[in-house]
Amino acid sequence: MSEHTARRTPHLPGETGVWVFILGDMLMFAAFFIVFMFYRGEDVALYAKSQLTLNQHLGAVNTFLMLSSSWCVAVAVETARGGRPRGAQVWLLSAMACAVGFVVVKFFEYSEKIAAGFTLTSNDFFMYYYMLTGLHLMHVLLGLGVLNYLWFTLRAPPAASTLRTLESGASFWHMVDILWIVLFALLYLVR
Amino acid sequence: MNIRNELLCIWSAVLFVIIFTIGIWPLTHFLPPHLPTASAEEIAALYQDRTWQIRLGLFLMMGCSGLVCAFVAAITVAMKRMEQGAGPLTYTQLSAGSLGAVLLIIPCLVWTVAAFRPDRDPQLTLLLNDMGWIMLFMPFTTFVVQNIAIGLAILGDRNAAPVMPRWVGFLNLWVAVLFVPGGLLTFFKKGPFAWSGVFVYWVPLVVFLGWYLVMFAMLRKSAINAHHESRLAASVLALDAIKADQAS
Repeated sequence: MSEHTARRTPHLPGETGVWVFILGDMLMFAAFFIVFMFYRGEDVALYAKSQLTLNQHLGAVNTFLMLSSSWCVAVAVETARGGRPRGAQVWLLSAMACAVGFVVVKFFEYSEKIAAGFTLTSNDFFMYYYMLTGLHLMHVLLGLGVLNYLWFTLRAPPAASTLRTLESGASFWHMVDILWIVLFALLYLVR
Repeated sequence: MNIRNELLCIWSAVLFVIIFTIGIWPLTHFLPPHLPTASAEEIAALYQDRTWQIRLGLFLMMGCSGLVCAFVAAITVAMKRMEQGAGPLTYTQLSAGSLGAVLLIIPCLVWTVAAFRPDRDPQLTLLLNDMGWIMLFMPFTTFVVQNIAIGLAILGDRNAAPVMPRWVGFLNLWVAVLFVPGGLLTFFKKGPFAWSGVFVYWVPLVVFLGWYLVMFAMLRKSAINAHHESRLAASVLALDAIKADQAS
């Protein structure tokens, strides 16, 4: 850590351009959240009633998986900085395993809801539930592709750009994590 | 390469945006969008009250959509520089972009059919109106593929002086993601994900316009840079020839 604190200039993880994507995407989700909270305010009773049917345990498991995955990626970056690309690859694989776990849990959660008769068109709450978690799931799948790409980057002979690519991908993955935390709070927990 | 032809194709984007805006806004009044919840009689009345404005507006919107092909060609030329010869991403962009132009033209034609006989059974007008809206806002697939191809080509640019800055590549990837929610309009008649909703109509419209502006500026710069480089190379060659002449 000492080398970080010694650095005078502020360090932006990854390349600058990737933040166009990350901030743009977060802007988009911010708009989703604002629209959701606005319409929730119009009919709190319906949203609260529908929220009770969500499985908070599965939501909590997924939050745990997402946080673990993010942590694995952070450790992978640190390990790569320490000059151990093989070790970083193992951490990336763990991160991918958590992400696959997230997708599997989501699959069971959706099945459970559909079996209980709650679909995209049941009511406004479920419209947001499926649309927001679905679009987030799309990001998780994109992120799995990114993590996979990072794994291959580490397999190649180390180059000056490797660490920067790793940081860019990791920043994207942390965004996917943050978006889930907000989604979990908004959809499952907010009273 | 002839820079005048290239700039002509790039500037066609501006013409397209201006004409399309005139068509969709003051003439047809398709901005703001019709509501998917409107009754057949309400929709039929729109076509009956503004028949000639809608016909003229759609004529302009359809008429300027061919300019998209010229703009796609300009992107293709820039991508050839990125891929150092026409690579697979260049061809992907060219074909997806050209299909995108078709997906602008067809909805205009379907709405034109509705405006052709505004006095027919309102249910039929409603059907044609639905068809137009769904055809224009649902098919995200070609736009997503086109934007991903452009984004990957920019990020994969191995030229010593890259054709476009890398943030434009990430911007294209972000735009690709933004177009996806539009495909889900099929499930909704109201709310933010219906065709009149903020995430299907307004956000993609603004983003599409912004994307056009950024790509226009970047393509223009890339064309001028490439032209200067080729002129520089040509004068170096000419200088060498003069030197060889003097030596002999």
